Amino acid sequence: MNVIRELVRKDLLVLRRSPALAATLVLYPLLVTGLVGLVAGYANTKPRIAFVDQEGLPAQVRIGGHLFNVQRTLDRVSQNARLVPLSRGEATRELREGRVVAIITVPPDFVGDLASMVRSPTLQLETTTGGVGPRVTQQVEALVYSLNRELQDTYIETNLEYLRLIEHGGDTSFLGLKYHVLGLDGTKALLAELPGGPRLDAISAFVDQAKVALARSDGAIRATAHPIVLNRVGGHGRTWALSAQVQAYALALTITFLALVLAAGALAAERDEQVLARLTRGLASLWQVVLAKAALAVVVSLALGMALAVAFGAIIQIGGVRGGEPWVRLPLLAVGLALAGAALGALGALLGAIARDGRTASLVAVLVVLPIVFVGLVPPEVSRSAARVSDAFPFVHAVRLFTAALFDVSPWRRLGVEALWLAGLGAVYVVAARLAARRLLV
Amino acid sequence: MTDGDWLLRAHGIARRFGAAHALEPTDVELRAGETVALIGPNGAGKSTLLSLLAGALPPSKGTLERRPGLRSGWLPQRPGHYARLTPRENLELFARLHGDGDPSGVATAALERFGLPDSGKTTGALSVGNRQRLSLAIALLGAPELLLLDEPTAALDPQQRDLLWEVALEHTRAGGTLVFATQQHEEISHAERVIELREGKVVT
Repeated sequence: MNVIRELVRKDLLVLRRSPALAATLVLYPLLVTGLVGLVAGYANTKPRIAFVDQEGLPAQVRIGGHLFNVQRTLDRVSQNARLVPLSRGEATRELREGRVVAIITVPPDFVGDLASMVRSPTLQLETTTGGVGPRVTQQVEALVYSLNRELQDTYIETNLEYLRLIEHGGDTSFLGLKYHVLGLDGTKALLAELPGGPRLDAISAFVDQAKVALARSDGAIRATAHPIVLNRVGGHGRTWALSAQVQAYALALTITFLALVLAAGALAAERDEQVLARLTRGLASLWQVVLAKAALAVVVSLALGMALAVAFGAIIQIGGVRGGEPWVRLPLLAVGLALAGAALGALGALLGAIARDGRTASLVAVLVVLPIVFVGLVPPEVSRSAARVSDAFPFVHAVRLFTAALFDVSPWRRLGVEALWLAGLGAVYVVAARLAARRLLV
Repeated sequence: MTDGDWLLRAHGIARRFGAAHALEPTDVELRAGETVALIGPNGAGKSTLLSLLAGALPPSKGTLERRPGLRSGWLPQRPGHYARLTPRENLELFARLHGDGDPSGVATAALERFGLPDSGKTTGALSVGNRQRLSLAIALLGAPELLLLDEPTAALDPQQRDLLWEVALEHTRAGGTLVFATQQHEEISHAERVIELREGKVVT
């Protein structure tokens, strides 16, 4: 243990002597995290959807006495998608080329069906095949839902107008012809002028009952149209950039990069400096040298990971974000950082042993980091193969463990599973690194 | 000299690097207090034999028998220390790895004995002579009985050579065993026994 401690202390001293390298090792993964965040953010932006208007929509459409500005209405309801007006041919070509993710077609007679309020008009949707198809379908369904809500309000308002006309009476028009409706109020007034009697009393009672029932129909019709109302409560929640997911990914990506590059470079440097042969002459075994590199990764991952977590938490606290930072969970995160650092350090040592010289080892480590991270970013529901591949590397387990440690209400099961994964992977990589390290003595 | 005086016995040790045979099967016995020179042209197998005797390289064939508890120091052909550490830090680190109880005191003594700077300058910024002296100082940590030096004076000027030999011979005067590889004929005079190698084989 003393030997490992001495070797780690030496590596930390060497790292301190190279401030530019240390700064690069810290800043580079943060930069990559930012770029990944931007790409992920871009993925969350509005997809481009072709809007093919075969109807020739007018600028304004009158439905149930309400005037709709078509473009303004489309802009308002298409919050999750960017509708691009295209001809049928252009839209088909762009969908084929992947420049739009879907085509929404407005067929002929759409406005006629809409205005008639008798038959539901139909929109046609074509999407790309593959992973984004279901997501685009959901977004278009959301768009149609928003459009339906706008129209529904108009339809309800129109129907309520008819009910109010029946209740109170008044002038109206239908198919270009003007009518005067007597209404229940007018009926009641006429009944009051007639001589009394049981039959008149019965009619008058029915008129009263009908008026009471119609007075309640307003709320009933609205409730039928919207059985469940979603009320968005205002508040200061976490932005996407401060989300639990981003925090876990930033931590995992940073320590993955650091641990792999440092451990690989540090092990290969022992050979570069001709020291490994001197060490293994009884001062340190190859096991101890390999474990020292994993321990170096643990120390650096812990220090930087905790510093990042504290900085992240400080931003959350200063920003007054609802819920705040789960400070009480930081010890759990520290355990996760140590485990992930050890597994990643062991993998780095394996790369260093395979590469043999310091420069090649660092380059190989950098080249290996990115695919490991990107395959870990692919959601399992998109590709099971990618999920299986990423399971063989510590990155994805580190992300899950950090998320559980910081944000799961009952984190223990998930923590246990991911800790076992990291410990198992770390053990496998240490043994492989020890076997490969024999190459460094030749 | 009795059979109990031996420090190290190599029985048919050989080393291959891929398809190349760096050292053919060789028998060597090193005895307490003797000084042995390994000579031969470049590529003769001197460094390979020294590395095998030092235990820094495993043999491809044969066995190496070391007297139990033997303490040995090795000065490789290229400096075996950390370029980004100062001479003091290197000495303290290796002293701690040797289990020395006073690494700071050991380092101070070695810096004085070998005339090494203690200015905080890293080893990579030192002259070749200073680096070689530091390597020798590290090889002497742990009070070795057997000292193995691989072309210790190859890159040194005459004054630095004298200084290095002074330290090496001090080791033999104290009863230590010295084995050194060299291409300098005048250095053979320091040896009591000479082993000549050519193309990986012992010829004398």
